[in-house]
Amino acid sequence: MSDSSSKLTSKWTTILGLGVIALVAAWALAFLGLGQHDHRPALSVLLGCLFWTSLLIGMLMLTMITRVFDAGWAPVIRRNWEFMIGALPVVLLLGVVPLAFLTDFRHLLWEWTDVKHILPSGHEVGHDPILQAKSWFLNEKFFLVRISLYVVFFSVLTWAMRTWSFKQDTDRTASHTHTLHAFSAAGIPLGAVALTMLAFDCLMALSYHWFSTMYGVWFFALSIRLALAATVILTYRLSNGGWLDGILNQAHRHVLGCLMLAFTVFWAYISFSQYFLIYTANIPEETFWYNIREFDPVTGLKSDWWGVSMYLIFGFFLLPFLALLFYRSKIVPGRLLTIAVIIFIGGIVDLLFNAVPRQILDKTAPEGFTVSPFLCGGLATDLLAIAGFGAIVIGLFLRSATKAETIPVHDPRILESINYHE
Amino acid sequence: MNERNERIFGVACTFRKPADVFHAAEKVRDAGWTRWDVHTPFPIHGMDQAMGLPRSKVPRLTLLGGVTGFITGCLLTWYMNSYDYPLIVGGKPYWSAIYPFPVLYECTILFAAFGTFFGQFILNRLPHHHHPLFELPNFARVSDDTFMVVLEAQDPKFHVDDSRNFLQSLGGQEITVIRD
Repeated sequence: MSDSSSKLTSKWTTILGLGVIALVAAWALAFLGLGQHDHRPALSVLLGCLFWTSLLIGMLMLTMITRVFDAGWAPVIRRNWEFMIGALPVVLLLGVVPLAFLTDFRHLLWEWTDVKHILPSGHEVGHDPILQAKSWFLNEKFFLVRISLYVVFFSVLTWAMRTWSFKQDTDRTASHTHTLHAFSAAGIPLGAVALTMLAFDCLMALSYHWFSTMYGVWFFALSIRLALAATVILTYRLSNGGWLDGILNQAHRHVLGCLMLAFTVFWAYISFSQYFLIYTANIPEETFWYNIREFDPVTGLKSDWWGVSMYLIFGFFLLPFLALLFYRSKIVPGRLLTIAVIIFIGGIVDLLFNAVPRQILDKTAPEGFTVSPFLCGGLATDLLAIAGFGAIVIGLFLRSATKAETIPVHDPRILESINYHE
Repeated sequence: MNERNERIFGVACTFRKPADVFHAAEKVRDAGWTRWDVHTPFPIHGMDQAMGLPRSKVPRLTLLGGVTGFITGCLLTWYMNSYDYPLIVGGKPYWSAIYPFPVLYECTILFAAFGTFFGQFILNRLPHHHHPLFELPNFARVSDDTFMVVLEAQDPKFHVDDSRNFLQSLGGQEITVIRD
């Protein structure tokens, strides 16, 4: 490992420490919120966890997809994904697991788990016929079993993808590539089911009246977009005073840029289709979800969530889409980095748009409820939690980089990857 | 140019190895030729740069087609549903950008595909039923084991004897003058 690389990896304890401090602060705020029956700080911890879960699941899927397709360009970049995904079980264990298993937090975030919770209609959750019809799936016991299964499943898969790949560095056995190929072939469909259910349980179930079969696909599209944007940012840093110095070339950037373009379109396709079907069908139990994201129920005017949705259309789709159409945007490092940062920030906003607005009981409001706004103190705790989990992920990433070769030197396709050409 | 030169298409020259034809192409490029080509049995990485070829202009025609398609879709749905025969369907407005989006999207894709297909057709000067190179007895070998550089008579630098000598200096094997 070169001097600049070892200087980089030696920072892992500092970065991890900062992450732990930020996360402790976010959790402390969540406990304070618990006392005031305010769900918002707890939701921030959940969002911080799910943002990085989404990003790391995206990297896990990309790792398996490039394995299955024997992608010749991938090995030098995939090794960094393998370093990153090691943090996935940790992120789940520090965020969604305690929130689901601590009864008070569970009742606060997932209202349907609390049978005594009062709905805006004045009825208790336990007497809600919509919940009763779904209770074979949405019941506390099964919910906790599923949350545990996600942790086990993603731990096993990330462990497998890392272990055999790292083994190849020392024992130089080409057959590990076949082992990982088989793991990936099984892991992709199982991972697709797991990430869909995870999106249903952790995000869609925050608003349990609403349902969309496209929600899992939306989560997948967001995951891959975040993973690719993070990969571009990460490889940019690592090729300027890191282990990708002189290795990352124009063709690698081009392929990442092309994938970013493809998944920008895919995300727009999925997000629009979900909106379009609900808009066309015009059924109240589906449209309310978009209504609380457009109108303030008290004044009846457009709320700040309407501005957020416009930002998502023009800033998270149209701008990156138009920029990425141009060849030079995909090969000039600075331009690709700028687009990746735009997508990364947009991804945070998209997750907030999908998770934050919810009906909050308020007897004084004309409809009996208000909607949590976008611009509020909660946004600051969201960013605190995202930064905290992010520093933990980066710290663990740098720690992983000391455990194995930073370039998979004995991968059968390493020469093809290093000499990758457009 | 004399009368004899007008009937000449160009000068062809064969090479045995990819590296030879690659370096020959770099020298032809550096000599400032504009009307010339390289024929190889398989794609050679980096040949575009070695020949000094700019990027294809087809993507611009694709974009032009896509934008045209989007506008066409807007006009189509607006004219039919909002202007010529205003009709309320499913409680939606006469025209908005949302309900006809599948139409706008499909028109964009269709016209972008037209732009790509006809764009490459025109830029490649197709249809082109015959080419003087097909008269060359050993031209079929460039799809097997031979590499070829062809300097065309239309290039302002072209002169039969000079071009022959130039190709010889590049290490070419068989040099043939192609007549139209």
